[in-house]
Amino acid sequence: MRLLTKSSVRHLLHHRAQLVLSVVGVALGVAVVLSIDLATQSARNAFRVSAEMVSGRATHQIVGDAGALGEGLLLRLRTEAGVRAAAPVVEGFASSPRLPGLALRILGIDPFSEGPFRPFVVGGPAELDVGAFVTTPGAVVLSAATAARAGVVPGGALPLLVGGRTRQLRVVGTIEPGDELARAGLADVLLMDIATAQDVLEAAGTLTRIDLLVSAADSADRFPRVRALLSPGETLAPAGTRAEVMAGMIDAFDVNLTALSLLALVFGMFLIYNAVTFSVVQRRALLGMLRALGVTRGEILRMILSEATWIGVSGSAIGLAVGVVLGRGLVRLVTRTINDLYFVVSVEGIRVDPLLLAKAAALGVAATLLAALPAALEEASSEPRLALLRSEREAKSRRTLARAAALGVLGLVGGSLLVVVPTRSLGVSFAALLLIVGGLAMLTPAGAVGLVHLVRPVLRQISGSLGLVAARGVVRSLSRTAPAIAALAVAVSVTVGLGVMIQSFRGTLERWLDSTLQADVYVSLPGPTASRASGTLPPDLMDAFVGHPEVAGHSTYRGTDLTDEAGAFRLVALALDPRAEETFQFIDGGADAIMSAFRRGEGALVSEQFSFRRGVGTGNVVDLPTPAGPRTIPVLGVFYDYGSDQGAVIVSRSLYDQYFDDTGVTSLALFLAAGADSESVVRDLLDLVPPGLTVIARTNDVLRSASLDVFDRTFQVTAVLRLLAFVVAFVGVLSALMALELERARELGAMRAWGLEPAELRRLVLTQTGLMGLVSGALAVPMGIVLSAVMIFVINKRSFGWTLDLQLGPMVLAQAVALAVIAALLAGLYPAWRIARTSPATALRGE
Amino acid sequence: MTLGRVALGPMTLGRATLLGMCVTLAAGCGDRAPSPSARLSLLETLSGADTAGYERALAPRDFVFPEDHGPHLGFRTEWWYVTGNLTSTAGRDFGFQLTIFRSALGSGAPVSTSAWATNQAYMAHFTVTDVETGRFYAHERFARGAAGLAGASAEPLRIWLEDWTMEGIAPAGLPVRLRAAEDEVAIDLVLDAGKPAVAHGVAGLSQKGPEPGNASFYYSHTRMPAEGTLAIGDDTLDVHGLAWLDREWSTSALSEGQVGWDWLALQLDDGWDLMLYRLRRADGSADEWSAGTLVDHRGAASHLTWGADVTVESTSTWTSPIDGAVYPGAWRVELPGRGWSLLVEPRIPNQELDLAFRYWEGAVGLRGVGEDGADVTGRGYVELTGYAGEAPER
Repeated sequence: MRLLTKSSVRHLLHHRAQLVLSVVGVALGVAVVLSIDLATQSARNAFRVSAEMVSGRATHQIVGDAGALGEGLLLRLRTEAGVRAAAPVVEGFASSPRLPGLALRILGIDPFSEGPFRPFVVGGPAELDVGAFVTTPGAVVLSAATAARAGVVPGGALPLLVGGRTRQLRVVGTIEPGDELARAGLADVLLMDIATAQDVLEAAGTLTRIDLLVSAADSADRFPRVRALLSPGETLAPAGTRAEVMAGMIDAFDVNLTALSLLALVFGMFLIYNAVTFSVVQRRALLGMLRALGVTRGEILRMILSEATWIGVSGSAIGLAVGVVLGRGLVRLVTRTINDLYFVVSVEGIRVDPLLLAKAAALGVAATLLAALPAALEEASSEPRLALLRSEREAKSRRTLARAAALGVLGLVGGSLLVVVPTRSLGVSFAALLLIVGGLAMLTPAGAVGLVHLVRPVLRQISGSLGLVAARGVVRSLSRTAPAIAALAVAVSVTVGLGVMIQSFRGTLERWLDSTLQADVYVSLPGPTASRASGTLPPDLMDAFVGHPEVAGHSTYRGTDLTDEAGAFRLVALALDPRAEETFQFIDGGADAIMSAFRRGEGALVSEQFSFRRGVGTGNVVDLPTPAGPRTIPVLGVFYDYGSDQGAVIVSRSLYDQYFDDTGVTSLALFLAAGADSESVVRDLLDLVPPGLTVIARTNDVLRSASLDVFDRTFQVTAVLRLLAFVVAFVGVLSALMALELERARELGAMRAWGLEPAELRRLVLTQTGLMGLVSGALAVPMGIVLSAVMIFVINKRSFGWTLDLQLGPMVLAQAVALAVIAALLAGLYPAWRIARTSPATALRGE
Repeated sequence: MTLGRVALGPMTLGRATLLGMCVTLAAGCGDRAPSPSARLSLLETLSGADTAGYERALAPRDFVFPEDHGPHLGFRTEWWYVTGNLTSTAGRDFGFQLTIFRSALGSGAPVSTSAWATNQAYMAHFTVTDVETGRFYAHERFARGAAGLAGASAEPLRIWLEDWTMEGIAPAGLPVRLRAAEDEVAIDLVLDAGKPAVAHGVAGLSQKGPEPGNASFYYSHTRMPAEGTLAIGDDTLDVHGLAWLDREWSTSALSEGQVGWDWLALQLDDGWDLMLYRLRRADGSADEWSAGTLVDHRGAASHLTWGADVTVESTSTWTSPIDGAVYPGAWRVELPGRGWSLLVEPRIPNQELDLAFRYWEGAVGLRGVGEDGADVTGRGYVELTGYAGEAPER
């Protein structure tokens, strides 16, 4: 055993480049998985901590289904239901020019009701001067760290932008939470007296919620009394229910990213597989000898696996470190997307959860062992005599070709069957995708052989017999070339698949924007994050805008984010200008009939996402949570919507006004007279805005590109992952090809001895790797198209409910081939240079 | 409370501070008492004598009712302090306290569209002493003077913190109906005016220090016949007895050197009432501003000078089970000029309010020699502050 260990160590040290590449492969795979885990978990945690921080020790909450509660309830809860621990809360979001990029959460509380609820209010009693907190106009208390970041001290002013209006708040104190968690949760909180919060948010008369602290023992007695006090639109729920529903919104997003990160690990496994197989093949003579000397199969197996373990452990260790760094970068991208699409959250750095580290490390080691297993088993099971023969292995490899192809077909069939299974499970969809990718990968060797045969005449034309030698080399060394070709093909095909999918999504979105954005100018107020409008437009300002001589018509839009048991959605009240006739594209067609019923206030339009998530279609009904309780409204039609993945319900303004005591308008769409210049109208409009108010007025073009920016940001994480996965695959291919060519050193040395010039040898090596690249690229194109089809028609349609048009650009495909060839050529450079430099004698001496 | 009169100083120290502190501590008040250091800084804030913008008690005034039963929002601090001894029809004895404190958080009325905007904070204490079982129930509440949660008005007379209320049931304000309930105890009582209001100090101006304005306005109804119900556990009992109302408002800073006070409100069975407060200095001696008021059976009041007219000596001690704080346990009260000598003893020993602000306030009984050398018994209430570690100078 000592001898075995020694031989193993010596071998690995002798082949340092190989060793390093294997470790790098594991490290990258682990790093990508970990970084995605860290980023999404940090975002989720930040949201939860923030939610917990602001709901404190509350056990239950009363919330208004329509988003707000009346104020009279608190007194009745205390006096009539006997719930003493009841605290009113007014919440909202804002931003401050002093804290760029931070979405601030306004938390309006009543300090006299706070007693048991929010520990951080208790945490700094000496600092918190309640008199100043309650009576100072615009008084705010924030965490010491955030105050420092904003450069304000107690007594100083903090400018706050909310609902388009800039106000000067007065910092009357800071809180310094004792523990890390509270510090993180309070980083984005602006603590205000409830009256101040209502003033700042222009929400006089309503509460966001009432927090309750009711012990389990008391709940049976108290809750019936509490419920008896609630109006139809008010709900009593355990604290955190809403936060959980909100946090659940990013589940699918999370699964998507995790799937992508696992892909990187799978590529990493390819790499390990290559490396281990190769290192075994290199030692086959030695191993054969050892076997002949009496070393048992088990010992050989253990030796190979323990080598793999060391590679796995060291790669994982490096991967953890890299993953943490990578996670810090990714969390920004992830958070921005969550803010764009789901909810407002501020993530201050990542929290490195030891559990995630352990999970990533275990995954890394297990993946390495799994990847090493085939080679180890094969080596351990072969007869000592045969183990000495390289040709035997290649012959076997060619026999395996058929078996692999058969397996590939099986995978394809299995994947296709899964595609047909009627389910929304993302897991099933990804399993189908994986099977199809795997099946295609198994088919690549056979495909490669076929392709090489096809290109042989061409090669002969170009490079003469050297070209033929190169081609034959690829086919003859299938045990090494096949995994490399497959890895490269899969990596490129994933790149192609994702590229086509993103391109299709973007194209669909563009066309949707073209039909949706029909007005010339759009007006709204700035929100806490770039993509969210907040507040309502001042009516007099709207009148002034609409009264502009060049404005010929207008639509108004009122959006409210609501949450019910089934999740979150956006309720939109729309007063449509006649010019905006064809704003909606309906899934079942019949736009004219639907729209005229809509205008008459006969029902609601629901977005494809809403319909998908709740299984509600044309002819069904939806329950709208109104201040007076749920109202059942018929669904008139399902429209395509790429604006929100949570789903939207649109009702006409007249219908909305019947149920909601709300005259607000979130945004205004203006249609200009023929020949008017949008940009000059926008300038005119902005001149009408009174000082202290910030209004965003955008031309159609600007809004359109802003929407596309949001989309592009959303897919930035995907793009990064795609790049990372490709890097891992590239490293894998690099190592495989290098190993392959280096291993052929003796063969090439012989060629040199026969008189081949170094330049010819270089060309031979580069032709060979280039050929492999070409083959991979060529195979990757159809694979990529299949993948994108699965992603578009299965994953996006079935699991996310998006209808997308597959859009294939020749550029994407050409890029794929170019990418594969370049990667392969790059991989061939070093071996080519080295082999050409080595003297034939050295090369022939071999190891 | 009683202190009220003279007591501005102490009152401010005790009650106003108490309110201010708790308001400041908000959260701490609902839970356990906050740390002494936190209190200290609060006290410092309060004693910072930020009197700008408030009205001051500068000259004697004629109290006008029912207006003066109502709030005086221009002053920083004010309270309605009711204590009393009750007996059920079956002869079971109880004590009760219902106090509503008002404290201005700032001198200016808020400019806001919010119904929650206010510059007034309210705190209330409600206690019941069950002499028979020896149990003492104490509760507290806090609320802002807004959104209907708490407030005070003169006409109609109504002072309330949620559903703990004092409501006038006649145009003159009195009689007043008291209602409070929490957990196992509840009271619903009607208090008659009884003897006319007694103005303490110099015609109601109770000076607490040498500086002008360092004073409060202070009057009491010392003997209010009370009748109604008291609920305890599952029992609701018809009760009757005597209550005492202290009213005081001021805008004052603390006096130097005072650490607490003992206040005694005694109702003798022969119809005489006696109010005494002893302001305690750090060394345990009585402050020169300590004083008392004697009210005869017809309602005529006379001022008592500490030492010359009245002496109070504690004759035993009681140790708090919470932290071993030592309170006086009984008193010998003597009015040497009149030949009075009374022994005052708590009805039950432990009547310590373990609330955000800790103090001892409870029902007492008395016996001894009263007016004209006659043997006399009686009831009353005693308040003891500054013993349980909260006093700023400790």
